[in-house]
Amino acid sequence: MKKVYILGGAQTDFERNWKKEGKGMVALLKEAVADGLTGAGLSFEDVRALNREDRVACFVGNFIAEKYTEQGHLGAFLTEVDPAFYGVPSARYEAACASSSAAIDAARTSIRAGDRDVAIVVGWELMKTVDARTGGDFLGRAAYYEKEAKGIELPFPKLFGRLADETLRKYPALEEKRYMDALARIACINYANAKRNPLAQTRQWFMNFAQASARGTETNPLVGGRLAVSDCSQITDGAAVVVLASEDFVRRRGLTGRPVIKGFGHRNAPLRFDRKVAEQPDSPYLLPWTRQAVLDAYGRSGLTVADMDVFEAHDCFTSSEYAALSAFGLTPPGEEYRAVECGLIAPGGAKPVNSGGGLIGCGHPVGATGARMLLDLYKQVTGAAGGYQVPDAKNALMLNIGGTATTNYVFIVGRED
Amino acid sequence: MRNIRTVTVIGVTGTMGANVAGIFASFGDARVFCVGRDLEKVRRTVPRIVRSVKADAIAANLVPADFSMLETCVAESDLVFESVREDLALKKEIAARVAGALRADAISGTGSSGLSITEIAECYPPEKRSRFFGIHMFNPPYTLPLCELTPTVYSDRALLSWLKTYLREKLFRTVVEVRDSPAFLANRIGFQFINQALRDAERYQDNGGIDYMDAVLGSFTGRTMPPLTTADFVGLDVHQAIVNNLYAHTADWARDSFALPAFARDLIDGGRLGRKSGGGLYQVVKYENGLRRQTVYDISTGAYRDVIPYHFPFAEQMQQAIAEGDYQLAFTRLTRNQSPEARLCLAYLLRYMLYALFAAREAGGDMAAADDVMAAGFSWCPPLALYQALSSAADVPALIRERLPEVCERMDVDRALAEIRPSRYDYRRYFKSGRRME
Repeated sequence: MKKVYILGGAQTDFERNWKKEGKGMVALLKEAVADGLTGAGLSFEDVRALNREDRVACFVGNFIAEKYTEQGHLGAFLTEVDPAFYGVPSARYEAACASSSAAIDAARTSIRAGDRDVAIVVGWELMKTVDARTGGDFLGRAAYYEKEAKGIELPFPKLFGRLADETLRKYPALEEKRYMDALARIACINYANAKRNPLAQTRQWFMNFAQASARGTETNPLVGGRLAVSDCSQITDGAAVVVLASEDFVRRRGLTGRPVIKGFGHRNAPLRFDRKVAEQPDSPYLLPWTRQAVLDAYGRSGLTVADMDVFEAHDCFTSSEYAALSAFGLTPPGEEYRAVECGLIAPGGAKPVNSGGGLIGCGHPVGATGARMLLDLYKQVTGAAGGYQVPDAKNALMLNIGGTATTNYVFIVGRED
Repeated sequence: MRNIRTVTVIGVTGTMGANVAGIFASFGDARVFCVGRDLEKVRRTVPRIVRSVKADAIAANLVPADFSMLETCVAESDLVFESVREDLALKKEIAARVAGALRADAISGTGSSGLSITEIAECYPPEKRSRFFGIHMFNPPYTLPLCELTPTVYSDRALLSWLKTYLREKLFRTVVEVRDSPAFLANRIGFQFINQALRDAERYQDNGGIDYMDAVLGSFTGRTMPPLTTADFVGLDVHQAIVNNLYAHTADWARDSFALPAFARDLIDGGRLGRKSGGGLYQVVKYENGLRRQTVYDISTGAYRDVIPYHFPFAEQMQQAIAEGDYQLAFTRLTRNQSPEARLCLAYLLRYMLYALFAAREAGGDMAAADDVMAAGFSWCPPLALYQALSSAADVPALIRERLPEVCERMDVDRALAEIRPSRYDYRRYFKSGRRME
């Protein structure tokens, strides 16, 4: 099998509100793509040259621009960014909040098959175009809208609140307070990590354990069962670009030190939350397909949890990061709180999770998140993560989920052996 | 390493006092004695402090107190922050009281935005004088992280260095050390721009005046709010205090631009201070049916009228280009357009860069300091970033010589330009199209 290298990329500042700046998706994409190519050491002229030989393609990840910005046909939309994309094959990939992981997967496949030398992944979402209630309703389409979201205010916090309920139901030995404290600590760690990330949405926000635990107050209202605002990632605008390349390309250019994608996993659980719950009693894991996707990636890479130095978990809510900890193999299922309490996942811990803030701290422009995670993995294993660098990280794993842990994508990135 | 566990904030019912108390109680995780004249009013301020950092959890850290308890609070505090109104006599009186009760190992500071820090420091006995600093934050500090830190000749340098780290790493402030100089750095640069616009509003009153200048210097020029809207938001009385201070205590080429125009003085004398007094440069007229109408003070008639929807081709072209992310095109439109409005706009931006370069040196900082203060204190495109932005479309030094000959005569522009360095700020986010995006 051919190797797939990561050349680099860029993300936009997730603090920015593009509507307030009076800018739309053209402006967003122009900035992200130009910065992403620069970050990968490429130029628009390189794109033209590669395209003359049909060796470059674009893979756009976006969940639901049709709702947020009234625009579809997003692969073709890159031609509005720069004429260098005239003639370049480009299509859009969608898997809810894992949309850009679907794009990464297609990009990775085209390199591995030898069809292309360079694959440009562009993940993006503009979400501040509408108010929170309307946006929350749009996001309901990541569940079974008709049966799980329609007419329900903020359906996703409620679904992930149910994930919290089911966690407590499945593991009777887990005390509620211990669980809720672990969730509050997860929020705190992610907010604190965001303070070291100059592109994080919440880098100026205040959060501590007392505030994360003050659920049900005016400044931390409950939004989904037991979960409060502090347990949620916040919607924002943003784009992330990451560029993959073939071994041939890397050799021809004389590039060194570029990491490779070592493993992948992709499993889909039942779409409906009820069916997920109904299916899992046979498994020690609450989200068995999430666990399986991680195992698949470990298996393909020939690596184990012991080899991983950094994790990116999909903390759209604290309850989903909690469940991810055992899926990664950091603790046995049902004992995830141990990884939180002993500092294992905190900065400086042996297995730091979401060192740049994750979805809660860095922000979650849904279609950009998978590409943002892959870019952060790239930064970590190349020592380019700046203030949130995990020292000497060699291998890193990301889990990007769509819906209620329905689509589960896992990628492992590492330095070449 | 010392720890700041207990803080006293004096003058907590004021906007800055309340907001700074919120910063100490949240990021600082300190118990904060909230001291004001009227204990009941202090109690009513507590919910405002909580909201300023969006954290109910800090309520437990806030202890209301009045001036009769001042000495008790101060004696228990690791840090005392005075934030009463900008009145030197009052600040000195409070400093003397604080000095009497302050622990030998504690730090004290004032939030003054422009009074002499040295004079206030001299109210302290020598051993405590070395532990006193100017700690000037911007409103609202939760979103504007700038903190101008001013030592005096008496300051303990090791303590200054410790305090800088505390403000930066614990309170997450963008800390800029400045000399004890008029209005420090951010306001000196910012209010030069704003007051110049106020003066030009008077000069161009027949073109529309206030709203004309705001239309020429709109959000497409690298700021959220146009300058005179900002003055209205800050309050003309506060604006006056800052520019009077600068007019009285500076002697450089920009000094005349700090003279308050007569019409602004009239508005202030008439109690029309801006948004907080229900009207100033602008006035929102509210109707019973809920409709609101934005009106503006017409300098030539002395009455409020509807805001004029100006259509300057250069501005519309820039807005269009910015909306599509074509920044270079936007700056090309600006630098090539020869209309009076485009030339006026560009002169403002060029002068802003030069004055920032100049003032940074005067106030003891470097160019990076000028960038930090304007980004973190005003949310304006900082001067070095603006230089980069304009350089994408034009030869900026040549433009400066062509458009600002009067400044070039009075300032060593070549020397200033030689200090230009790449900015650590990305200019793109500061330039807004001002258009509604659907």
